[in-house]
Amino acid sequence: MTMTRVRALMRKEFLDLARNRTVLLPVVFITIMTLVIAFGIAIALPAMTGQPLGGDGDLLRLSTLMGGGDDLSGDGRVQLFLFHQFLLLFLVIPITGAMSLAAHAVVGEKQARTLEPLLATPITTFELLVAKVLGALIPTFAVSLIGLALYLGGIALLAAPGVAGAMVGARTAVLVLVVGPAAALVSLQAAIVISSRVNDPRTAQQFGVMIIIPLSALLVAQFMGTVWLSSSSLALIGLGLFGVWLLLTVFSVAIFERESILTRWR
Amino acid sequence: MISANRLTRRFGSRVVVDDVSFEVERAEIVALLGPNGAGKTTTMRMLAGLIAPTSGSVAIDGVGLTRATGTLLRSRIGFLTEAPGVWDRLTVRENLQVYSGLYGLAHPNGVIDRALELFELTGQASTRTAELSKGMRQKVALARALLHEPRILLLDEPTSGLDPEITRSVRTLLDNRRAAGCSILLSTHNLDEAERLADRVAVLHGRLLALDRPAVLRQRLRTGRVMVRVAGDPASQLEVVRRFDRDASIDAETIVLRLGDAERDTPALVSALTGAGARIVEIRQEVPALEDVYLHLMGDR
Repeated sequence: MTMTRVRALMRKEFLDLARNRTVLLPVVFITIMTLVIAFGIAIALPAMTGQPLGGDGDLLRLSTLMGGGDDLSGDGRVQLFLFHQFLLLFLVIPITGAMSLAAHAVVGEKQARTLEPLLATPITTFELLVAKVLGALIPTFAVSLIGLALYLGGIALLAAPGVAGAMVGARTAVLVLVVGPAAALVSLQAAIVISSRVNDPRTAQQFGVMIIIPLSALLVAQFMGTVWLSSSSLALIGLGLFGVWLLLTVFSVAIFERESILTRWR
Repeated sequence: MISANRLTRRFGSRVVVDDVSFEVERAEIVALLGPNGAGKTTTMRMLAGLIAPTSGSVAIDGVGLTRATGTLLRSRIGFLTEAPGVWDRLTVRENLQVYSGLYGLAHPNGVIDRALELFELTGQASTRTAELSKGMRQKVALARALLHEPRILLLDEPTSGLDPEITRSVRTLLDNRRAAGCSILLSTHNLDEAERLADRVAVLHGRLLALDRPAVLRQRLRTGRVMVRVAGDPASQLEVVRRFDRDASIDAETIVLRLGDAERDTPALVSALTGAGARIVEIRQEVPALEDVYLHLMGDR
């Protein structure tokens, strides 16, 4: 693999995105929605209704399941529990945002008739696919990191004392830096596999977004107290997802048929 | 050098390219002629390593084009595709910058500046290609194909959509690339262009119908008709001329006759006419245009 070629194509992806920023609007929208929902539920609603979170026995019981935060007040413990739940939503942000980019990755080039000259260069299929995945992931991941910074900043400003400090730990780091990117990579690579096999980007988008289903199940299970994933189990999941991504990459290179893309798609 | 050896390509049961063999030598331009659907683009794509032949092989500079050698050989080829295929949201310079990275050019800025200058695109360097005319986009695509100074050029209708001025500059450029030792294969519908530019012409219609120098191809259709213009009344020389062709006639002050072998018989005709006191103003053989040869070949299929 030659990084020069990967970088060159990634540069094209970034330039293209910079001229078509509306593609990133869904990411920005989901980021804002996540922030609004999280702070609405954990901070604004209890303040408006006058019912402190620590007064809810069920929530207090659930919050003890995750462990830690022993020195926090009742309100603080529940807030910590809720903010940890909403953190999972930040995993979804790069996936949903980058999905339209990834879905267009191959079929979009074909439709614009820019794929043939690109394939006529020395770029290998692996380099092409890596550049396409990273070109879609990096910008949306950057937006989600900005959202995350706002999230943690908001917690520091608005949550009960000690919650922000308890949030910043191994679990958050693993979720944000390992599980999040790994889940996004799996999802994007799946979209690109589909994008190289269909002649309509919408099909690729619909398939790729299916990764949200297990993540949503995890979110619901955690809310119900059925499952609480520790940082080490999350790290294992992250590594597993990276493995799946590598397999998907190998698979996508194997099934990428330059020839049928050029000759059979109309 | 480009070598196509018994190239055949089928799509399902349809044979698009059928047992085609030819070579394009160093410092040579070969024009690929043929109607729509004749297999020109498919042949170009096989030569560029974009699609594999069903049977037969391609070699570039003596190296067989395979999956393993594809990346290396594609770096030696400049391929102009049928559609310009430029990225619309990127400027002209950005398009070329990305491709200079894909070709791994060591000093891209100087190369890009020269390409912009060569194609008179310097003024449009910062313009997004979506805002350019079709002809200008074609120039960007040509600049892109030549950016890495390839020794092999495969050009699918390079002057399509270009105005006469730009067309002429493209032809000059291709002349220069040939002089620099490039092997150039270009497909075109423009027979005049093929005749002006190409050292040899290949006529394709699934099969390779003809491959030769334009003059030799024209020779194939020689009619043996000779036109003679003399000073004074041509009718006074008709009797002399009829010794060579009993059906000789006068058409618009010109004597028209048919010789069995014009190359062999014309000197004798000139001698006979001058011996009879005719003052010959002009004598010429009828030479068919490449278009006539092309239509003849297509009609013969």
